[in-house]
Formats: sequence, structure tokens, C-alpha cells
Amino acid sequence: MIGARLVRVEDERFLRGEGRFVADISLPFMTEAFVLRSPHAHARISRIDIGPALALDGVQAVVTAADLPARLPPIPCRIPTHGNMEPFLQPVLCRDVARYVGEPVAVVVASNRAMAEDGAERIAIDWQPLPAVADAIAGLKPDAPAVHDAGNVASRWGFDLGNVETALSEAAVTVRQTFGIQRHTAMPLETRGLLAVYDGARRMLEVHGPTKVPHTNHALLARMLQVSTAEIRFIEPDVGGSFGARGEFYPEDFLIPWLALRLRKPVRWIEDRLEHFAAINHSRESRFEVTAAADAEGRLTAFDVKLVADLGAYIRTHGDVVPSHAAASFPGPYRVRNYRVAAVAALSNKTPSGTVRAPGMFEANFARERAVDMLADKLGIDPAEIRRRNLIRREEMPWRVGTESVRRPIIFDSGDFSFVFERAVSEFDRTALPRSASGTIRRGRGICALVEPSAFGAFESARVEVDGEGFVHVVTGATSQGQGHETSLAQVAAAVLEVPIDRIRVRHGDTGLIRFGGGTYASRAAVMAGNAVHAAAVAVKAKALRTAAQKLEVAEEDVRLADGRFELAGTPEVNITFAAIARLLAPGNAELLQSPTVANIADNDGLTASCHIRGVPSGTSVFAVHLAEVAVDVETGQVAVERYLVAADVGRAINPRIVEGQLIGGVVQGLGGTLLEEIVYDAEGQLQTGTFADYLLPSVHDAPAITAMVIEHALSPSNPLGVKGVGEVGTSGAAAAIGNAVARALGVPAAINALPLTPERVIAATCAGPVP
Amino acid sequence: MKLFSVTLVVNGRAVTLRVEARQSLADALRGELGLTGTHLGCEHGVCGACTVLLDGEPVRGCLLLAVQTEGTEVTTIEGISPPAGLNELQESFRRHHALQCGYCTPGMVLSLHALLARDPTADEEAIREAISGNLCRCTGYLPILQAALHVAQSNRLKRADTSSTQSSA
Ligand code: FES
Ligand code: FES
Repeated sequence: MIGARLVRVEDERFLRGEGRFVADISLPFMTEAFVLRSPHAHARISRIDIGPALALDGVQAVVTAADLPARLPPIPCRIPTHGNMEPFLQPVLCRDVARYVGEPVAVVVASNRAMAEDGAERIAIDWQPLPAVADAIAGLKPDAPAVHDAGNVASRWGFDLGNVETALSEAAVTVRQTFGIQRHTAMPLETRGLLAVYDGARRMLEVHGPTKVPHTNHALLARMLQVSTAEIRFIEPDVGGSFGARGEFYPEDFLIPWLALRLRKPVRWIEDRLEHFAAINHSRESRFEVTAAADAEGRLTAFDVKLVADLGAYIRTHGDVVPSHAAASFPGPYRVRNYRVAAVAALSNKTPSGTVRAPGMFEANFARERAVDMLADKLGIDPAEIRRRNLIRREEMPWRVGTESVRRPIIFDSGDFSFVFERAVSEFDRTALPRSASGTIRRGRGICALVEPSAFGAFESARVEVDGEGFVHVVTGATSQGQGHETSLAQVAAAVLEVPIDRIRVRHGDTGLIRFGGGTYASRAAVMAGNAVHAAAVAVKAKALRTAAQKLEVAEEDVRLADGRFELAGTPEVNITFAAIARLLAPGNAELLQSPTVANIADNDGLTASCHIRGVPSGTSVFAVHLAEVAVDVETGQVAVERYLVAADVGRAINPRIVEGQLIGGVVQGLGGTLLEEIVYDAEGQLQTGTFADYLLPSVHDAPAITAMVIEHALSPSNPLGVKGVGEVGTSGAAAAIGNAVARALGVPAAINALPLTPERVIAATCAGPVP
Repeated sequence: MKLFSVTLVVNGRAVTLRVEARQSLADALRGELGLTGTHLGCEHGVCGACTVLLDGEPVRGCLLLAVQTEGTEVTTIEGISPPAGLNELQESFRRHHALQCGYCTPGMVLSLHALLARDPTADEEAIREAISGNLCRCTGYLPILQAALHVAQSNRLKRADTSSTQSSA
């Protein structure tokens, strides 16, 4: 079953329109909430009058910061950081000063959404606008306005490995370039939403809508509400995409359950798209000043990097992890021992930020791979060749970069980078179409090599259970936002228990079904949840085997699992099915109660096993190569990606079809971040992109022909299945490969240094100089 | 709030809705009729998640007001799904892994369903055009194209079959 290209078990319900997303759930007497948000980037609230809103027919409650429980803490950071983030954390509602457009100020609850919106319109607020920091880099100047009393810098850190100064002074060539990566974000097609319902008599708060890390958020909500975790249940519905941004603990994740508790009525909040643009974590906005050096043979000798990341107005759950990953992993797949980075996590009056698919890596890969191409150009070496000469070698594994991020060392666990590299390059060459420049069209090819550290997190939990009818239940602490875990985790269980996939039910994201869970982030689900399910299934099988041997009164070694039953080797008519063993092991089973052999079957707690597996601190590392061929119209500045190849060594693919889907989908998302997507603010910090008409997502017309090469070569030594996390590698190298291709097409190696590559930027680049 | 009465046919059955003037068709289908397969991704006419068929043609359920649909025939994803299992196009989506989160899926399927009803052997260009107004954030579109091309191809074969049977007859 592992390695089979099964069609997904979850597909049927989605194809029939029977998916159950949070907005599809409604309950009797349900109310709806609308969050009133700051229209100002930076402003003091001198007065709020909610009276007129409360007076409106249908409005049931209006709350502001004044109504919040005393001593309610701000939303904490859930990840180690490079500095003290306390002064910069976000309160669930702003009290005196709003720091970004979209910051929650009040919540109106009414009989329906339209009434709640009408109510919100009647809340009168006296605002005193303050000067705003619209750009974090400008905000670093001494005379800049202060986003917080504690200033505009959340953290500063760095690494200084080897001897960068010497390497730079001895280099045959150096390049120096500043790269800018624009603010953009995940933009799942479904906006966020929550439905909370409180049964006061039973003291039970149920929250529908959480995803990604429900167990973490469940514990946090209990702490913030000061109730027992036993009084709250989080239930993940079907989720329309996350890509890292959705499912973190946002202000609404406190506000909506708290309101349900207060009102003792179901409260539903469904974000609209404009709200999503202002409220969801943004990501990626950063500037890299890179100096890269090489010797005359094209051996890379040093990277010297200054990194400033614009994290927006508050530090959220992820702290400074995005620039942290970028700084720690900047050297990529190359044998570069002289590496220096100085990083700053800076604040501005814009929406706070967090992780999005390949956080920090998309950015770092773009800056590094562009710099490597510039070196190649100076040396007159082919871009593939310079990379070939510098890849970390198989015998050098595990490779310690010497840096760390979120207190975990960056170590590449395994890999044969050259093998994957050559396969990717030759496949792209082999399938090349004869095309050349014509008229105003210029063509170019770009390459990116990268390592994606993945599968982080301390642990994952799973329970596998066989019921008396022989159905297998798999409960995972991971969550699903479309990745297909109901299929891939079923495949893992099926492989161990040798039962058909249609006898397996996978449940996820429900704190009522499993006590602990890590969640789905950092490309970890296949690795962590996969191995947790594997371990639990192995334990169930061992328990079943033991029980079968006792029941059949034979030695364990003589029992075989075949066709869903345990049989005596050589005498298949002596057998017992999984279902019969499960019935036998059920507590209170009549046979066991009467049986004199009861003492032989001590563990009659059902045919079930729970496993909590530990993560490896440095996770798994996927080596990937991206190759892009573009056609650039020098008259219009349009970039068309004509052909794309992504090759990744995934260790082992549980379901190659799903892995390919992750790679292809990831590439198109990365293409969006390279060519189209940008969250724009004006100089006053006003959000300019609030619809899909201003913020362009890739459409079918932007999707190139993509070859996804799923290579199963270097198994991860970190886990029994040998799998590596693959969810982010498709996105991670897209800007680098496409950026390099455009620079080649135009013959201006240094001019492509700011994303997205809009027609304006491309035209400016054709006129040679770098553009802002 | 004043309510208006609208009578239309939804998935083959006549229904009368009582709606506010400002209520969109998508909201009415979801809220009044429980047809939650029609999704909302943007509510401003760009993403296509709310696509339904109005007299057989794809329209944006979020842009159309329910009161504008008097006397029309509306088909949603529930309306083109067989009583159990999947129709040919849906099955092809499944075979080609043309969905991940499934949020865009009903809109995609309806846009392509309408195209293939009009042009059963549609080529890639026509297929791209048909879903050019449907955004998908997960799949990268290629598997969706393949799913639709596969159906068009099998229609082509069926057609060739029928014509060869006819000519041999
Ligand atoms: S919801 Fe109608 S087009 Fe997006
Ligand atoms: S499958 Fe998720 S948006 Fe298309």
C-alpha cells in the first residue's frame, strides 16, 4: 500500500458538493458575529460609543476591549524566538491604540451577518490618527514614528561561521546585490471561520473551524478562558486550504468561543475576503543584502548577508521564525563554510505576519540563487555547472550548516544531491523544445537548487483501533487542509495491517478523539503523522498476533497474517479474523470473562494502540531542483513560464500521486508569488489590495507545463518509513528558478532583484538598471 | 426587512424562496435550501467558487441576486451528482487528482460540465477558457485540465465508435 498511487478516499464528498466546511454548518438559534476593524494604520481611540449599535433590532451583543476578562493576556508566541517578544504581542481587541488597518476593535453579534454589519456601522469611534510606519526599513531610522513603546525592532541576531572577511578578500570574484521580496500570503480559497457553541449546563464549549494545530490552540484557549481543557472540544471541519497561514491562534480564536460562552448561544463568524486580506498572517516581506564570493574555479567561498524582515504591527504566534529560517538556511545545498548573517525582525503599521508555505526559504532561495547566477556570469561558467561544483557530497552527510533556527540545529540528514541534480538537468534537457528568440520575445532558462528542512515539531500522536466488525479506525493528531491525509494515513495503516483501504476510517483534527496532537505544518504530516500511525499499527498488529496465538493455542512464531486473518502457518483452516480478535479483546467480552485463559490475555482493553512519537529536532531535509524556461516579451514586460520541472528526493513517497500534486500545486503557488501576488500598502499604511481584482492569483492561463519528478533515493534516517516532508519544496524554489530564467532571457544578470516580476519591473530591467 | 417571493426550478424541482432584496443567489441556495456545495470564496465575482448553472450556463452565484432568478432553472453541484457515486467528469477529477482541498471543486466541475454539454469534445484551449474564471489555490490547474481532456477524449472515441457503427450498418 505504501507507494501506491491510490485515488483519494476524501474526493467523493468534495466532488458531490458534500464537503462540510465551517460555513456549511449551522445550528438552531445560531447568531453571527462581525468583527469591526481599524480603518487606520496607526491611531489612538479616544472614545467608543456602542449604544446606537446595541439599540438596533437583531443585535444581541457588542463587545470592545473594555468588556474583556480582566488580566486577559495577549496572544502568546508559540515558538522560540531571538528576542523578548512580550512588548509586541497582539491583544485580542485593541484597547487604546490601533496599529494596523484591520486590527479588531469590536465584535457585534446579531441574528444574522447582515444585521451584525448594520450594527457595526453604528458604532461611533473617535480616532486620533498617529504617524504610521508603512515600511519597516524606513521605520529603522532614528526619527521614525514608534509602532510600539518598545520601538520598532523585535529582535536582532546573527551567525558568523568560518572566516568571511578572509574569504572575501581572497576571492577571485565577488558580487554584491540587494534583493527585495514582497509582502504576500497564502490566500486559501476558503476564508477563515469559526462556529462556537456552549452548553452551559454541561459546561461544554464546542468549537468548529480550528485546523492546523488544534491541540495547541485548544490548550491555549482553555488557559485564556481559565477553564478545564475537558470543557472545550475543537473539531476540524473540511478546510479549504491553509498553506501555513490559517489555523493559528488569531484574535477571533479567542473572541468567538468567548462570546459563545458569554451569550450561551451558538456564534458563527465567517470572514469575508476583504477582511481576510487585512486579518490573515501576511508573510515574506524582506530585504537581503548579499555579498557572495567564489574562487577562480567557481567554488563558492563565502556568503555575507544582511537581512531585514518586515513583520508588521505585532508579533504573533510565530515570533520571528520566518526570517529565522531564512537566516539559518541561507547557504542552501552548497559546501560553503564561511557564512555570516545579521538579521533584524522589524515592525511596521501593517498586518502582522507569520508562516506561509516555505517560510523564509522561498525568500532566501531567491536571493542566494540569484547571487550564485551572478557569480556564474562573472566567471563565465554555466549556471548548472557552478552548482554542480558546489553541491554538498553524499559522503558529507549528515551536513551541519552550523546555524540554528527556533533552537534547532540545521542539519541535512541525508541526500545524494548530485544524483538528483543530474537527473533533473538531463530530464529538462531531454524534453527541451527547439525555441528561440523571435520578435519581441526573449527566452531563458533558470535553475535553482535547494534544501528544504521539513518535518519539525516535538511529537505526533496516533491511535489505531480495530473494531468488532473488523473496521480500522485511525485517529491522528495531525490535521488536513486538503493534503489528502485521509488517504495517505490509511495507506500506512493498510500496509501494516494488510486490510483493504475501504475498511479504514481516518479521523483528524478533533481534540475530543485524541488527547494529544502536533498538527500539520512544516511539511510534517507524512513524516510525523505517518510514522505515528505506522507505530500504532505495528503495535496493534503485535497485540493481535499475540492474542491470536493464545486463542489458537499455538506459538506466536507460527501465526501468519493473511487476508485479514491470523492463521496457523501451513494450516490455514486454523485461523481467527481481526474482527474476532477485537471482540475477544473488548473489555467485558463474555468469552474472556468465562474463559479460564483470562489470565493469558491481560490486556483486554480493545484491539487498540496509541503511539506518541518524538520528532528529530532537525527534521528531514529534502533536496530539490527547480528548472524554468520563460518567454519574456520585452515590449509588454510579460513573463510567460513555458516549461517547468521540479525534482525532489522525497525519501519515500507514501502516495506518489499525492506527492506530485503537492509539487505541482506548490510550483504554481510559487509562480504566483514570483510574478503576480503582492499585498500593497500606501505611504500612510492603507491597505490597497483587498480583492482578487487587485491581488492577482495565478489562473489556469498562468499555469505552465510542469514535470514533477518524485525521486525516492535517500531515505530519511530519522524515521522508520524513511519519508521526507514534501509540502513546501514546490513553492520554495519557484522565484529563484523563474527569476534566474528572466535574468538570462534579458541578458541582465543583475537587474532581476525585486519581486514580483511585474511587467513594469521587467521593462525597467530590459533598460538595464535595477529598479526599486 | 421586506421579503420577496421568488419561484424558480432548482435541480429539477420547483421552489419558492422568501428572500431579502439584497440576498445573493448563492446565499439563498446555501441558507434557504441547504445546498452548501455552492461555495463562496470572494463574493465579488472573481474566484468562481460560487459557480452555478442558470438555464444551463455558468454564472456567479455571488453576483446574482436571488430576486433576479424568477422563472429560471438553476443547477448546482448537487443537481449534477448522481444519487450515489460520481458522474463521468467527477470520476475523471478523482482519477486525475484534480482536487486537493475541494473548495474550488464544485465550481470547476460545473464550469466544465457546461462546456462539455455544449462541446463534448472540447480541446485544451476551450477547456482553459471555460475555467479561466475559476481559481484554484491547491492543484496548479494541470490535473484539472487533464481530467477534462480525458472526458473530451473519451467522448471523441465514443463519437468515432458511433459513426463507425453507423457507417458499417
Ligand atoms: S464567490 Fe462568487 S466569484 Fe468568488
Ligand atoms: S482544490 Fe483547493 S482551491 Fe482548488
